[in-house]
Amino acid sequence: MIALRGVSLVYPNGTRALDSIDLEIAKGSFVFLVGHSGTGKSSLLRLLYREQLPTRGEVTVDGIRVDKLRRSKVPQLRRNVGVVFQDFKLLTDKTVWENVAFALQVTGARTKDVMRQVPRVLDLVGLAHKSRMFPSELSGGEQQRTAIARALVNNPKILLCDEPTGNLDPANTNEVMDLLHRINLKGTTVLIATHNALVVDRMRRRVIRLEDGKIVADEERGYYLAGPPGGVAERLPTSAQSA
Amino acid sequence: MDWGRVQFFFGEVWRNFTRNLIMQFTAIGTVTVTIVLLGSFVFTRDTLGAIGDDVLKKIEISVFLKDNSTTADAKNLAAKLSADRRVRSVAYIPKAQGLAQMRDRLRGQIDTSLLTSNPLPDVLRVRVADPEDVRAVAATIRKLPGVANVEYAEDAVQKLLRISDVLGRIGLAVVALLIFTAAIIISNTIRLTVFARRREIAIMQLVGASGTYIRWPFICEGFLDGVLGSALALGLLEVARLELLPKLAAALPFLPMHAANINQLVFAGELLTIGAAVGIIASWVSVGRYLRT
Repeated sequence: MIALRGVSLVYPNGTRALDSIDLEIAKGSFVFLVGHSGTGKSSLLRLLYREQLPTRGEVTVDGIRVDKLRRSKVPQLRRNVGVVFQDFKLLTDKTVWENVAFALQVTGARTKDVMRQVPRVLDLVGLAHKSRMFPSELSGGEQQRTAIARALVNNPKILLCDEPTGNLDPANTNEVMDLLHRINLKGTTVLIATHNALVVDRMRRRVIRLEDGKIVADEERGYYLAGPPGGVAERLPTSAQSA
Repeated sequence: MDWGRVQFFFGEVWRNFTRNLIMQFTAIGTVTVTIVLLGSFVFTRDTLGAIGDDVLKKIEISVFLKDNSTTADAKNLAAKLSADRRVRSVAYIPKAQGLAQMRDRLRGQIDTSLLTSNPLPDVLRVRVADPEDVRAVAATIRKLPGVANVEYAEDAVQKLLRISDVLGRIGLAVVALLIFTAAIIISNTIRLTVFARRREIAIMQLVGASGTYIRWPFICEGFLDGVLGSALALGLLEVARLELLPKLAAALPFLPMHAANINQLVFAGELLTIGAAVGIIASWVSVGRYLRT
């Protein structure tokens, strides 16, 4: 579903964000991308929805060579790749319904489809009853769920999340992670960049660790910190684990 | 027709348009001023041009014969001139007829009965086929025997044409400058809207809206600025035509104000098109510049 071969990214100021990345992510998988701030997690995600072009190497998403994609074809790619951010990026003057519908309307969707899809995803994220509320009237978790609904409304095959729980308290974090898990169970490939150790260790899924733009570890059922025995969560008191 | 889509689209346009009303009014006002000036300029140029053409066509060479010349001399000369291929017509006006014509012309203004003798010479009035030949024909006639003097209005006509030409160039430069200014102001207005909506545009791009789709509401906004501005200008021009022109015509009776053959409907259409085009191009450029970055 996602493949990177020899991908390097050097920003114009000389910063090397990614260095010879080789990576494959299978369809329907649930993958964590971990590492400290500035290790290249967000840069890697940006390559996948072509917000950024690699300096070198090949980026393939759903069979499309993203690094060679013509500008005019980018919208088509993005309808297949949902993106969720730490700061939600909701439009404050639109309701939950309007924020989600917006993503369909601006792609020229028919009203019939808007009326069908929006309730479906609002139902999925559990916000059907709050569809007339504005973002300012929602909790952080609800705002993030609205953002997820917006990312999903076009039925993308891939969902990219850049620190989706970065602004959330533990209860809201769990809520959002459960939702992402459910979305993944429906067949959507989910890739989450995070430095929330608790989340990673609780889920025990594939973990790709970046350091200075390089992949230093790639483990199935991995932990936030390298190697066994146990991850951060297992070294914390049990009360923290259940949070 | 999917009315939901239409409604959403025009909702976006309306939200853009009303977000920066003061800037919007500035843009519309600039277009109005530009189009009013453009319209007045074209009207003035066409009127002056028509007057010039008219005068050129009527240009006449007055050949004043020497006092001692006889009617036979005059008729000989007239026949000779008529033979010239460049000459269209020659009219012989004996001094007596000339006086009678003058009396008619000045009736009620000067008491011509005070004239005790006829001060006028015999005159030949010569018209040429092509105004370009006036100078050459006049020079030929001047050298002929029996001719006292030759007069024609060529200098005045040439001056008139030169003035209208210079005025036309200045006017064109001013209008070009104004159109440019209007384009810059519309472009800045659109840029402000684009800036105010940068979050929405970023989200549109993120969820896969096409560049064209993002661009259209802004193009419509520029189009609205241009069309509303020129419509307002057309209103002002129409008021000027109905109210100002008759007064001007009364004050300057020697200028034929309706000399220019302007089709008002076509002219209005042209001005409206120019306004709309300025709006569309200006917004296209400024959105394009934003979307590229």
